[in-house]
Amino acid sequence: MANLKELRSRITSVSSTMQITSAMKMVSAAKLNRAQNAIEDMRPYAEKLTELLQGLSASMDKDTDSPYSDQREIKNVLVIAISSNRGLAGAFNTNIVKRVRNLMQETYADNSVDIIAIGKKAGDVLRKNNDIKESYTDIYDDLSYEDVAEIAEHLMELFKSGNYDKIELVYNSFKNAATQIVTTEQFLPIKPASEKEGEGMSSDYIFEPNKIEIVEDLIPKSLKIQLFKAIRDSVASEHGARMTAMHKATDNATELRDDLKLSYNKARQASITNEILEIVAGAEALADS
Amino acid sequence: MHLEIVSPEQIILSDEVKSVNVPGISGEFQILDNHAPVVSVLKKGSIKLDTSVTLPKASKDQFYKEDSKFYFDISGGVIELKDNKVVILID
Repeated sequence: MANLKELRSRITSVSSTMQITSAMKMVSAAKLNRAQNAIEDMRPYAEKLTELLQGLSASMDKDTDSPYSDQREIKNVLVIAISSNRGLAGAFNTNIVKRVRNLMQETYADNSVDIIAIGKKAGDVLRKNNDIKESYTDIYDDLSYEDVAEIAEHLMELFKSGNYDKIELVYNSFKNAATQIVTTEQFLPIKPASEKEGEGMSSDYIFEPNKIEIVEDLIPKSLKIQLFKAIRDSVASEHGARMTAMHKATDNATELRDDLKLSYNKARQASITNEILEIVAGAEALADS
Repeated sequence: MHLEIVSPEQIILSDEVKSVNVPGISGEFQILDNHAPVVSVLKKGSIKLDTSVTLPKASKDQFYKEDSKFYFDISGGVIELKDNKVVILID
């Protein structure tokens, strides 16, 4: 039987770990709430933009020759791995790394694939086996649309100049606090609208300067918002994943502590029984004499 | 008419206004009630509102007052107007 002192110190250490994990859970829950609100806040903009873009494209006779919808033969692929800067979030970052490796080894096995890492964790792991072209880690400190727009512009430039023929985003999309879905999303080129969705805009509109130029002005905006949404989703997912992971850790710690307490009480009881036995035996020995 | 100014991060203003001036790509223009439907790209400049609107607390500081108009500076955007509803998406 383990000695009492040892058990006592283990109980204390498990309890303090439990305090940390449950505090981290609370913090993540609060941050998740904020991240979810942030997603809500950008929805009106994103929806209006999509509505305009679809309405305009549907009412146009031909597709635009925007440099961003250029479907070239795929030779060079760029994968944007969106992960987090911090760990302790369960399989959150591992899933991203797995998906990126899978893309490189299977989907684009015959192409040359480069990686840009947004967020430290996936970048650190991928760097061991692959070359990371660029990495952005400080955007999470204060996530703003301007910073993301800058990255998006850089990506658009890389595509336009012909450095890459296809750009894919890999990120955890947010479903709910407990579920994150690893998503691969084509960023560039823009997928041609196979079917013209929605009704076209009526001809009553005054278009300033004209439809084509408006669409060409809207496309970069919609790409920026797409990247922004992916990153915002990833942030919300990160907090959700961490909250779940910390919840499990707290549960496990509770179980472990209960087990330890049981052993501790058993050991304590055993030592008391022992003492009584000794006293009784001693008393009997005296009585006999 | 109803005016909404929306940025990627938040809704900056959503209120009834009497008039609004926007920096259209081919020149500033004013929108009053019952204006014809329009979609236009906006360039760098300022949106001007009549002072009858009450500015929302959250974004109050982003507006400034000059010549009895509220000014709001933008670096670009797009405007859509339909059925007396104006939506301005700013960059």
